[in-house]
Amino acid sequence: MSSQPASSTSTVVPPVAAVKPSGAFARLLADHWAMAGAGVAAAFVLLAVFAPLVCRITGSDPYTYDLGALTGSGLPRGAFGGVSATHWLGVEPQTGRDLFAIVAYGARISLLVGIGSTLLATLIGTALGVLAGYSGGLVDTLLSRFTDLTIAFPQLIFMIALGALVPASFPRQFFMIAAIGVFGWPSVARVVRGQTMALRNRSFVVAARVVGAGPRHILCTEILPNLASTITVIATMMVPGAIGTEAALSFLGIGVPPPTPSWGREISSAIAWVAVDPWYLAAPGLALFLVTLALNAFGDGLRDAFDPRLTGKGR
Amino acid sequence: MKITRFLLVKIAGMIAVLLLVSLAVYLIFYLTPADPARTECGRVCTPAELVQVRAFMGLNEPVWRQYLDFLGAIFAGRSYGSGAGAIACPAPCLGYSFQQHQTVLSLIGQTAPVTASIALGAAVLWLVTGVAAGVVSALRRGRALDRAVMATAIVGISVPAYLVGLLGILVFGFKLNILPVSGYVPLTQDPAQWAFHLMLPWCALAFISAAIYARLTRSQMIEALGEDYVRTARAKGLRESRVIGRHALRNVLIPVITLFGLDLGALLGGAVITEKVFSMYGLGALLIGAVATTDISTIAGVTLLAAVFVIVANFLVDLVYKLLDPRV
Amino acid sequence: MARRQKAAESVRRHRRRLALLGTSAVLVLTGALAACSGANSTGSSAATVSGTTAASDGGTLTILDSDTSLTLDPAQSWSLAITTSGLTWRRLTTWKIGPTGTPEVVPDLATSGGTPSEGGRVWTYHLKSGIDFSDGEPITSYDVKYGIERTYATALSGGLNYQKPLIAGTAGYTGPFSGKQLSSIQTPNATTIVFHLNQPYGDWPWVVSTTSLAPVPAGKAPAATFGQHPITSGPYTVQSYTPGVSAVLVRNKYWTAASDPNRTAGPDKIVIELNQDPTVEAQTLIANGPNAQDAFGADFVPPAQLAQVENDQSARSRLVTSPASPLEYLAVNVQSPRLKNLKVREALEYAVNREAVIIASGGTVAAEPATTLITPGIAGRVAYDLYPVGLTGDPAKAKSLLAQAGVQGLTLTLATGNDPISTAIAQAVQEAYKTAGINVVIKSLSSSAYTPLVTGNSAGGYDLAVSSWQPDFPSAMDNIEPLFSSAMIGNGNYNISRLADPTVDALITKAEGTIDATAAGAIWAQADKAILADAAVVPLVYNKNSFLRGSNVQNFYIGEFPAYPVYTAVTLGQ
Repeated sequence: MSSQPASSTSTVVPPVAAVKPSGAFARLLADHWAMAGAGVAAAFVLLAVFAPLVCRITGSDPYTYDLGALTGSGLPRGAFGGVSATHWLGVEPQTGRDLFAIVAYGARISLLVGIGSTLLATLIGTALGVLAGYSGGLVDTLLSRFTDLTIAFPQLIFMIALGALVPASFPRQFFMIAAIGVFGWPSVARVVRGQTMALRNRSFVVAARVVGAGPRHILCTEILPNLASTITVIATMMVPGAIGTEAALSFLGIGVPPPTPSWGREISSAIAWVAVDPWYLAAPGLALFLVTLALNAFGDGLRDAFDPRLTGKGR
Repeated sequence: MKITRFLLVKIAGMIAVLLLVSLAVYLIFYLTPADPARTECGRVCTPAELVQVRAFMGLNEPVWRQYLDFLGAIFAGRSYGSGAGAIACPAPCLGYSFQQHQTVLSLIGQTAPVTASIALGAAVLWLVTGVAAGVVSALRRGRALDRAVMATAIVGISVPAYLVGLLGILVFGFKLNILPVSGYVPLTQDPAQWAFHLMLPWCALAFISAAIYARLTRSQMIEALGEDYVRTARAKGLRESRVIGRHALRNVLIPVITLFGLDLGALLGGAVITEKVFSMYGLGALLIGAVATTDISTIAGVTLLAAVFVIVANFLVDLVYKLLDPRV
Repeated sequence: MARRQKAAESVRRHRRRLALLGTSAVLVLTGALAACSGANSTGSSAATVSGTTAASDGGTLTILDSDTSLTLDPAQSWSLAITTSGLTWRRLTTWKIGPTGTPEVVPDLATSGGTPSEGGRVWTYHLKSGIDFSDGEPITSYDVKYGIERTYATALSGGLNYQKPLIAGTAGYTGPFSGKQLSSIQTPNATTIVFHLNQPYGDWPWVVSTTSLAPVPAGKAPAATFGQHPITSGPYTVQSYTPGVSAVLVRNKYWTAASDPNRTAGPDKIVIELNQDPTVEAQTLIANGPNAQDAFGADFVPPAQLAQVENDQSARSRLVTSPASPLEYLAVNVQSPRLKNLKVREALEYAVNREAVIIASGGTVAAEPATTLITPGIAGRVAYDLYPVGLTGDPAKAKSLLAQAGVQGLTLTLATGNDPISTAIAQAVQEAYKTAGINVVIKSLSSSAYTPLVTGNSAGGYDLAVSSWQPDFPSAMDNIEPLFSSAMIGNGNYNISRLADPTVDALITKAEGTIDATAAGAIWAQADKAILADAAVVPLVYNKNSFLRGSNVQNFYIGEFPAYPVYTAVTLGQ
């Protein structure tokens, strides 16, 4: 989120409760690109979840060295960066570690941080957005100021500074989830606030208030369900950005430390080897690109499905 | 009256945020286990000398005192040590970097132009390219050009910025040998070389953001073209270019510019990564180096400056937005 | 990416830096060196070293350096004597480093290496006359004294500082800026200087060669600004310095070659380009384009580019590799409860797999197996192996030692910096010890967390630590004392093994006080063996650093010590 501009998430917001869920779902299923994206993303999720099992097929893991797979100068033996029966995507130079295992286990970090931070941002953003939109008045003003200020914060710079100070005993993944999530909630909050304000004045909500329903009841039964589609779209579109930020932090050296596999760190090491072993970059680079692309395509499809005005065919 | 009150409230808010940011930085660095005084003391360092050095750097004070000294120095300057061997830091003093033997302000003065060059050049490039692509795409909606532009755009937002930069260096720098791979030439020294060395960084940074703005502009444009006022303008017989240029585009630009304001923080972040990739010594490189050596003064100074920049820029964008759209 | 221990000579003892975070703590003064490639221990072709013993004058030499700042004030310099600081600063003595042969300390401003008296407690030097500063003023003994006094000012703390605890009567002295002088440094006239030390010290001539003891003109060197525009004594002076960008050195017109046989001063101008990325730097030099031909790299060539050079005929001839020198070692925390038993520590010596460590370091081009603490190239070094095992270790012997000690299921914590090579070495160690039944848990830390852990005052938190060391000058003292003297435990000092052995301490004191170099060498060798007998450390490998030069750079070589090119010998072709 810090390295992806806010505009990537603050696109047109689908109107609330104007679309029947079943219609949207049908539109989504009919969108080939979105479905392809969903499929690819799901495949990576499965790979991440079942990484140890899958790697057991080849008997490899991302930590064990295989010096026999390297030449004397540390380059992989064999074509395509050392592809073989035990090393489906080749090996890492200098260590001989299995790149397929690194990609599989690296997916865990990327997806965990990407999805985790998005969940955190969505939770905080929804809570604060609903609170601001429903309460209005002073509460709304204060929360809106707070939202603006968080957006205005130089996020990457602060993350760099924080990253160096968090003690080593604190798991890096959770630090990244917290940091990216905490800087990502304003985009959600802004949109949710707008939607809540619009909903507050809708007839069914006014009716519920007249009848004497308390705020909690109204929020839970009237407002939140109608926000569900908006929130889903926003959250889905945030995930690839969060994954990208995690990779950027790893590239800068403040992601998960070695030996835990991480796509961002592998990419930064692999760049140095491109002249002699381009396959080393291909594995994590393509993985990161594909996951991000797939999630973007799916997110686009989801947004379009809930907002028919935009789907004049062609996205 | 209303404007004055608006301004006062805004400025008060800005100052509050800056104080919070600087306090947070100090608190965080207080927790670090590293001891900058020991590094500063030298290879051979007796305990007595370590005490002297710590006192000289002001690190023996409680953290709240250090923070107040830092704040006070911004207005009144300060000096480290006393007597003939003191180091003076004139107002406005953002601190003194013992690692680099310079005041933080002079370090910032040397590095800020680099970051500004990268960020502003890329921003202009991506706004122009992104908006143009988005408009064209919206006008040719559904056709081949639209598909091509949007396909490129979705690829663009899926690729990490640093990867684009690094591949650009490999292809245009080493393989084709047409662009320099590193180094910054100041604008005042040689404008042509300045731009030449910034070509690759600008393109790398702009590529991804242009994609985002293209998508955004396209969707806003499509929505605007469906609005009543556009239909009215067409019905009135206005030329198509007038309809789009004068009416639709105006309303598309407002959200685009607003969001650009939100993106200023990300712009700084993007510049940090670009500086690293292209070995340019800007604020990002300064900060990363300061973090590696626990140079608290520099970290605090740069973070504070970044916050000032983003906050002031946001304030200006808010002003522009209010001017453009009197409804708000 | 850059190897740990990058060209920052100041970090010889520092942990591997985070390659990506651009270790700016390195305050390296890189010097311009023009040298022919070749002159490694493998004796590369004579053609590369020959031909240019006569200095070729002229040209602008470029040095590509990943550091972001340089320390140009001698009082704060961490530099080695023959790199950048060798270009700008002359001291009483300097180093003579040839392509082959043991490094020697030779007179520079002085007429001899120093005359000891009172058993080595007093050292007298006579200065040559007719040598001037870059502002035309003559260099006198008062200037040498002033330069040394400046190092005691708190505003100028930093630097190597070997002299500070050794000079007598300096307690409470805070430098010359308030007008106070040191009575223990006597200057009876402008060409004589006499040092009174706290103890007899045989290595004083080496200490005197460090940059901190460069002469500085009194009254013209304020603490805050001298480092921007220093008045120098060497063949070059500083024309400009922009942090993070570059430093430009131009000829010091008052320097004469006749008075200085140790420096070639070939190029007319030297430009040090800062903030280079080591990978891009190496690739630029491999490509050898027009901008790179008059340049060389101050940083180690990263492993990826070493592999690239293998396949590139032209680049191979422009690569210079040092003889094996800096020590990579595993510090054994003798104060850890798990390691109190000598037999357990000996098991660690037998189980280590040096072959895996060599590969982790980058292969045989980058490392050789190590068995002693005093590194190759240091005079008086005795090669021995107290724990002879094959290259891959002897896990069986280790297991039997553990059984004898009655220890089962041993788990140890291994602290390492989180740069790629240190991590790779830690993992190699982990794998080797696994075969001996020792479970090693790796604690991977950023340098700002690693250093306080291992050099702090608490002995808890680690059992083993991966570390590396290169002495600041070629004396066995600097291999042993900082790492194993009991006075160097904690307080940010580097006795990471936390060894406090009175025998070792006594040998150290005796060796330091022995003036005769050969006799001192023998005592240092004894200390070396005693420490290994304590099994307080497992020497892993000696590193070999590689550097690249452009095709027009000549007289580019690396001696037996240090593992860096000799900047003061480099020239450019015509």
